[in-house]
Amino acid sequence: MIFPAMTRSRAAVDDEYEVTLALHGAIAAMVGVLVTIVWLATGTGYFWPMWVWFGLLVTVAVHALGRHGVDVLERRMRPLGFHVEATVFIVAVELILWAMTGGGYFWPIWPITALGAALGIHALIVNRRLLPSLRERELSERVDVLTRTRRGALDVQAAELRRIERDLHDGAQARLVALSMQLGRAEERLEDRPEIAELVRQARGEAGAAIKELRDLARGIAPPVLADRGLVAAVEALGQRSAIPVDVDARVERRLSPVVETAAYFVVAEALTNVAKHAPSASARVTLAEREETLIVEIADDGPGGAEERDRSTGTSATGLAGLRRRVEALDGQLRVTSPDGVGTAIRAELPCGL
Amino acid sequence: MRVVIAEDNALLREGLVALLREREIEVVAQSEDGDGLLRIVEGHKPDLAIVDVRLPPSFTDEGVRAAIEARRRHPELAILILSQYVEPVYTSELLASGDGGIGYLLKERVGEVRTFVDALERVASGGTALDREVVAELVRSRHAGERGGKLGGLTPREREALELMAEGKTNAAIARAMVVTPGAVEKHVSNIFAKLDLPATDDDHRRVLAVLAFLGAGEA
Repeated sequence: MIFPAMTRSRAAVDDEYEVTLALHGAIAAMVGVLVTIVWLATGTGYFWPMWVWFGLLVTVAVHALGRHGVDVLERRMRPLGFHVEATVFIVAVELILWAMTGGGYFWPIWPITALGAALGIHALIVNRRLLPSLRERELSERVDVLTRTRRGALDVQAAELRRIERDLHDGAQARLVALSMQLGRAEERLEDRPEIAELVRQARGEAGAAIKELRDLARGIAPPVLADRGLVAAVEALGQRSAIPVDVDARVERRLSPVVETAAYFVVAEALTNVAKHAPSASARVTLAEREETLIVEIADDGPGGAEERDRSTGTSATGLAGLRRRVEALDGQLRVTSPDGVGTAIRAELPCGL
Repeated sequence: MRVVIAEDNALLREGLVALLREREIEVVAQSEDGDGLLRIVEGHKPDLAIVDVRLPPSFTDEGVRAAIEARRRHPELAILILSQYVEPVYTSELLASGDGGIGYLLKERVGEVRTFVDALERVASGGTALDREVVAELVRSRHAGERGGKLGGLTPREREALELMAEGKTNAAIARAMVVTPGAVEKHVSNIFAKLDLPATDDDHRRVLAVLAFLGAGEA
């Protein structure tokens, strides 16, 4: 977490550093140029200023590298980072020294080997110590993937159910309706054969029953008004049709994903059914709101309360509640029931609905 | 009676056309979607439009919206919605689009040919025909009566008569359904008119207004 105040002081430090480094570089260059002029004035010969240049360059390099390590490296990696930088730096200095002293026997091989071994051991130790955190990272990535894919699976499932509903509507149901029309026409023509007409009428009755069953099945998947017009319209329709007075306050501007809409719809439907059943003289208030990518659904009544007690004794609506809880929890949501005696019952579901 | 049909399913559309032809009802044009409905209503000026709720391109409530729009442009047009499901919201919207000349039936009712044709004729002449399941759904909301004020003053028998009226039944049919004499039904009906403060216009129109009062209460 970066706080604005820290960022500002950090920026100030950076500026100061830039200035000092530039100043350092400029002074070094000036000194270098000066000694080179002195060397030129004293009649050339062995180019001794290269040692001065070398010395100056080393100080500037240390200055730059030190800062680089603090800036770039992640905190946990910083000691090893400094070690790498120091090693590279020392090796470079040794190579330059070897070259400046005219080559010959390649003595830097020994310090390079030693420094390399030290760095290797350090890296091994750090790596071992970092292993658990790598595992942690892997696990958290895995959780992210699972969360995403589970949500995807639920969305696919909801879309699939709606497709099945549509297929039933356009396919089997439409054919049964056509069949019942034809049977009706046949019945009309059989007026002079009453016993056959009766058979046809019964057949039409069967077709009608099949249509009704398909219709109930489709309604269980999602009521038409929910698919057609969305959650707010569907919940308002629920409120109008409820056996108790219901006040609906819905503030959801957009269409949510089918799986969230369906879950929220059934929470409201089940809750209102429960109120009508257990507190028929109560009235209820339904609130829908979207806050920070979470859909909040609340159904509160002014009935006698004590809902959970009653559920335990009858055991009936408790299963309804458990079904709702499963539906909500599958979406990483939460369902809370508060029902103090004499105050009324409130059911609150929170459903993540981010994109 | 001149009829147009908006139905995207060819099987149902053709079945409907054949059935109506047998009853000598003229189907002057057909369409597969909502825009088509508006065009053929404009072009043919029919007495009645039979409209499926789900139509392309959205396959949601396109049919209801197109029917309401057609009605807005041609207030004299009678509309019979055919649907595969009961949706009281849509019924209420249709009823609000004008007084009378509205029907909402489940598609399988077409198979009861005589009743279906009766419903068509009733709707075409400005009456209502609501599916018994739609009515049952609306009645289920007990508070419709309590909130409706005037409706709360009806006796249970009067309410029952009003429900049957909403389905579009005649007094004789209501008498059969309630197992009472036609005279008793007439008494219930005039009590209903009186309690709902309906203007003394012709009887058919009062029936429609009574039904609207009854169904409108569900929205409150």
